[in-house]
Amino acid sequence: MDEAAVKEFIGTEISRSTVVVERSAIAFFASAVLDDDPVYTNADEASARGFEAIPAPPTFPFVMQNWGAFAELQAEGGQGAGLGMVLGPLMANGGLILHGEQAFVYHQPVLAGQTLTGVGVIKDAYVKESKGTTMTFVVAETTWSDASGAPVVTTTFNIIHRK
Amino acid sequence: MYSPAKLETLAVGDEAPVLTHTLSRTDLVRYAGASGDYNPMHHDEPKALAARQPSVFGHGMLSMGIVGTALTHFVGVGALETFSVRFARQTWPDEVLSTKITVTEISGDLVTLDVRLHNADGEEKVIGQATARLAG
Repeated sequence: MDEAAVKEFIGTEISRSTVVVERSAIAFFASAVLDDDPVYTNADEASARGFEAIPAPPTFPFVMQNWGAFAELQAEGGQGAGLGMVLGPLMANGGLILHGEQAFVYHQPVLAGQTLTGVGVIKDAYVKESKGTTMTFVVAETTWSDASGAPVVTTTFNIIHRK
Repeated sequence: MYSPAKLETLAVGDEAPVLTHTLSRTDLVRYAGASGDYNPMHHDEPKALAARQPSVFGHGMLSMGIVGTALTHFVGVGALETFSVRFARQTWPDEVLSTKITVTEISGDLVTLDVRLHNADGEEKVIGQATARLAG
């Protein structure tokens, strides 16, 4: 795809999913990122530190759609095409996908028991040519909001297709 | 068990306690399960070799997660406002990875930190920035 074709994706909604933030998922994730802070495993410790429920580690929002996105929670019409909508055509001619950058903006704590809805949108897309290599950059932003619609966390995912 | 830094005693140039860890293949499998990222490059050695990689390698988000662990131990859970990184290099089994987190700016209660993860040779794996609101 040339740059004009890639830029067509800007503004496209690529995902919409509702997840339950689960306590066991948080505990497992904390162990995977080498965090033994009891705030992630002990509800009394979380309470003593001012949290209404067990909080999630800071990079957990990147993976939570892989855990609690149960079928009955999802809106009619499914969960969107996902990044595959962009990556599919790019990968059709081979190449390599790299995770270039990742960012989080925290508006309020992510807590066990919350039900959050995340809407992902392509914010930017562009192509750079360098030494015979084509690098296609795609920036996707997902905003997770609570049941009242208040934003909880915004994640920005910057991927690079290199060919 | 982890006492966050106090705003009143914090100064630009201060560094967070270093988290050091020797990466194992088991770490990669655990992160794959906990994250739901089953890209075979991170756990399936024959497939990684077939893709001309020297071995399986770590998830970028595992590197960011390790930095996040050291970061929250320093600023406190729930204190982060922003956290962003660029993935500079892959991580490999048996590498000794260490965090390096440095206070770069203090404005009111908002603290800006330079955050990095590097191996024993000083090769940087992730480079980024975080901001946090600290209590006095």
